[in-house]
Amino acid sequence: MAEKVGCFICTGCSIGDALDVDKLIEAANETSPAVVKTHPALCQDEGLAIINSEIESNALEAISIAACSGRDKTAAFSALPNVFVERASLREGVVWTHEAGDEDTQMLGEDVVRMSLGKLKFASLPQAQPVEVNNRVMVIGGGVSGMSAALGAASVGKKVLLVEKEATLGGFAQHLHKIYPKDLALEAYPEPDVAGLIDQVGAEDNITVYTGAEVGRIEGAPAQFDVTINQGAEKINSLIDSVVLAAGWQPYDATKLEHLGYGKSPDVVTNVDFEKLVKENDGQIKRPSDGKSVESVLFVQCAGSRDDDHLPYCSNVCCAASLKQASYVKEHNPEAAAYIVYKDIRATGHYEEVYKRVQQLGTVFIKGEIESIEPNGDKGAVIEATDTLMNEQVFIEADMVVLATGMVPTTLDTDVLNLTYRLGPELPEREYGFPNSHFVCFPYETQRTGIYAAGAVRMPMDLASCVDDGTGAATKAVQAIDLISEGKATLPRVGDFSIPDFALQRCTQCKRCTEECPFGALDEDEKGTPKPNPTRCRRCGVCMGACPERIVTFDNYNVQMLSQAVKSVFVPDEFEEKPRVLAFACENDAVAAMDMAAHNGLKLNPFVRIIPMRCLGSFNIVWVADALSNGIDGIMLMGCKFGDDYQCHFIKGSELANTRMGNVQDTLDRLMLESERLRLEQVSITDYDKLPKIFDDFLEKLDELGPNPYKE
Amino acid sequence: MSDPKVPIPELGDLVVQTGGDTLYKCMQCGLCVASCPWRLVEGEISEEFNVRKVQHMAQLGVEGYESDNVLFACTTCGLCKVRCPRTSNVIDNQRILRAMIAEAGSVPPVYRGVIASLRDNGNPWQGEREERMNWTAEIDVPKFDEDTEYLLYVCCTSCYDQRCTEIAQALVSVLKKAGVSFGIIGEEESCCGESIRKIGAEDTFQTLAAKNIELFNDRGVKKIITTSPHCLFTLRHEYAELGAEYDVVHYTQFLATLIEEGKIKIDKDLGKKVIFHDPCYLGRHNEVYEAPRQVLDAMPGIERVEMTRFEVESICCGGGGGRIWTETDPGARFGDIRIRDAMAKEADVVATACPYCTIMLDASNITEGKEDLAIKDIVEILDQLI
Repeated sequence: MAEKVGCFICTGCSIGDALDVDKLIEAANETSPAVVKTHPALCQDEGLAIINSEIESNALEAISIAACSGRDKTAAFSALPNVFVERASLREGVVWTHEAGDEDTQMLGEDVVRMSLGKLKFASLPQAQPVEVNNRVMVIGGGVSGMSAALGAASVGKKVLLVEKEATLGGFAQHLHKIYPKDLALEAYPEPDVAGLIDQVGAEDNITVYTGAEVGRIEGAPAQFDVTINQGAEKINSLIDSVVLAAGWQPYDATKLEHLGYGKSPDVVTNVDFEKLVKENDGQIKRPSDGKSVESVLFVQCAGSRDDDHLPYCSNVCCAASLKQASYVKEHNPEAAAYIVYKDIRATGHYEEVYKRVQQLGTVFIKGEIESIEPNGDKGAVIEATDTLMNEQVFIEADMVVLATGMVPTTLDTDVLNLTYRLGPELPEREYGFPNSHFVCFPYETQRTGIYAAGAVRMPMDLASCVDDGTGAATKAVQAIDLISEGKATLPRVGDFSIPDFALQRCTQCKRCTEECPFGALDEDEKGTPKPNPTRCRRCGVCMGACPERIVTFDNYNVQMLSQAVKSVFVPDEFEEKPRVLAFACENDAVAAMDMAAHNGLKLNPFVRIIPMRCLGSFNIVWVADALSNGIDGIMLMGCKFGDDYQCHFIKGSELANTRMGNVQDTLDRLMLESERLRLEQVSITDYDKLPKIFDDFLEKLDELGPNPYKE
Repeated sequence: MSDPKVPIPELGDLVVQTGGDTLYKCMQCGLCVASCPWRLVEGEISEEFNVRKVQHMAQLGVEGYESDNVLFACTTCGLCKVRCPRTSNVIDNQRILRAMIAEAGSVPPVYRGVIASLRDNGNPWQGEREERMNWTAEIDVPKFDEDTEYLLYVCCTSCYDQRCTEIAQALVSVLKKAGVSFGIIGEEESCCGESIRKIGAEDTFQTLAAKNIELFNDRGVKKIITTSPHCLFTLRHEYAELGAEYDVVHYTQFLATLIEEGKIKIDKDLGKKVIFHDPCYLGRHNEVYEAPRQVLDAMPGIERVEMTRFEVESICCGGGGGRIWTETDPGARFGDIRIRDAMAKEADVVATACPYCTIMLDASNITEGKEDLAIKDIVEILDQLI
């Protein structure tokens, strides 16, 4: 609760030309703030000096800066000391998107000032709550990704527990005969230097290796994880801060590929089998059925990949793997034939050069579909395929067939983490069963704070990428420790000091918050009362939106703040024919889209009032009642795209809001109001050009419905 | 579908070893098919000929591309070659495939007479060797001797084709007016062998080339002006591979230099709208785009316009790759596209710089053109103005 508040109105960037500033000051003074000041350039040194001196002389606890969008000038305004800062967007939100000097524009500007000051009443500056950390990272998986992660974390002084389930470190890479050349000048394929990496790990004092070991249990929360490592009969307990999950991948189960001949002949093998076979014989390729030195090998690309009956995705590396293996065939015997049957060759980056070289070796590439692969008597195989380019059947007899099968994450059918979380022991499976929370914006992040995925468990990738990936995930694991130790949130609200407060004496144990928290931050006691774990929390506010009793509060973001903002909107009576719409908008996308609309000179409907949200998932339905009883005619929720390819920073915020909105139907019925007064729009940042129509269409609908009957 | 095809990779290797060394560069993307001018016309060949498919079958070492409509459709215009993202030399690959067929003895009948004529008379046009210089009967053309600077190497087509003799005559006239030291050797000259090599008659080509090289060396030829861009290509590139390096230019390049040096004075006004058709072998195969345009632009009173597709994107007349000797059905002639383009641009004259183009465009002008559209070689236009 802020007692002493201030309001600073910037008149620069054409704000002062488009709006009657005296009237803005009047609107601000309605709530009697301690200070109301204007300046033509608040973001510049002189303006900032004025703000600073007013904060000091009036002992202000919270201020509103009515200037540009909160997405701009963040560095200047975040440097203000010991004060809660609310940004009211007069520039993008009002003058750049509305007609200058217009009566409705002026009313909007005044509401923007009122709403920001309304919020201040219930806002306070969160205080940092430092956490004592152990400076220990546990890395699960001792392959190339895991070892790279361990070395990365150790190199900045963190202690690392490296847990490998096999008897030795090395992972999949140690089974490779050769690896793809990183250096294009190299004509030959280098051998994998797994031993070198193992030596580096061994030489690092900060790393303790547990081989033949598995994680028995992870309890607690980041910076306070209490873990048990089961090494044979021995159980090792430790307190760690963060986890890198580098559990690797498994080849797709080829027994499901009988239509490609697997299981029918020992000479039909997977690319993983083939790699091992070539390595065992040091480059010589012997047919499994009879040990004959092979004279022809046929590779089948996308064996069970990009296939809705098997793996619907592309595993990224199988093309390069077969290209490499086709050169094994030519190295083994230059006269031997190598065939590759493919849909498309996906040889990205410098694999294009590998592709070209393998073409020049005389490898036969057949773009087409396999019709059948059958044993050729008891040795080799006969293959029939449709050649797409010739539109002809081709018939090939080969000594061996290699199925280029795809990669599935180890976590798909194996428990690795064994978390003692209310929401389950493993990471939620996202697209195609991989655990990554958000591929585009936040690589390595998972839906469990402090646990970062690296390597092929995260997405299919090659060895070189695994090295980078391990290092990248280690960076996140280290950052998490450092941020949490200062009491700060991790991604995406990095640096936020706020922690949700649960007024548990009012909790009805409905479990909505514990079920809906996208990050599994809340455990439960036996009665169903939430047990918060602040260091697991990402501060999205989904719990706050979920709670029917409104017991969840952040110092700098709470139900009352937004209720007060809703109530601060001045609603003209129905005879003025000035409808009012509230748009609760996700600050990550929808608000950004509005700023883009402003920067692109688009005009928006002046009857709409924007309330930025951390995430639409923090939308609490009480605001609907607040709004409608204040005479607001319509409410719009503007969140990210949801569904399989969701865009939400917090996984499913807009989806949750959509569900809640459905439930609000009851509220509207009780108030004898049309449910069409409430609408959810999925808006991504690139949809800025659609905003004028989105608003106008809604206003048109409200015009049909007529004014809110609760309007005074 | 017919019986399944059985790939024989060794046959692909054979193509590579005998000169189609970029065959395996092909990644089967299909840009060649999309670029091919056969896509712009209708008819049997357009339906049957798919250059990617031919490449692919060659890679696989399977049969099925040997028919006249498929293997001998390509005019070697080279658009696919310049566009190929893998820099596969599609033209060479086609040539090698044709050579393999020729070696097996199944050259299409239409080319048998051509090969016989080349063997017996050193020209593909069924003319007697003694008649090679008939085009000089009414004009005085200097003979090449040790004091002559340039050999004027006149394409067989300009020697024997009635229409194209006029081009050779105009060129001689211009060179004389400019005071150039040039001469012809005469009936001992043989066809350069460019087109016959493209249809796969490698032996015939080698014989012709050896004969010409011996003749040129014997007479002390150092610098050559060609009338045809096809001769330019072969003398400059293919003879060089055989060890005979001459300084070879196309006459448009030579004329551009003469004009620049002020050795040709153009005093008459053309007063016409001229559109230039880039011959494939002058443009894409020899990368000469500027010179013919410089010559045209030097003419007073010319309004020069460009085709919709010009320079490197130019569309073939249809006469390359041996197709100058075959009959192409109306409606499937590439020249028609050029004539229609020229008419759409309201040109009075289609200028070109290759005897094949002149023949092919003339043919299309009869069916597609209008009476007042003229097909002229650049040097013919120039000769009228000086």
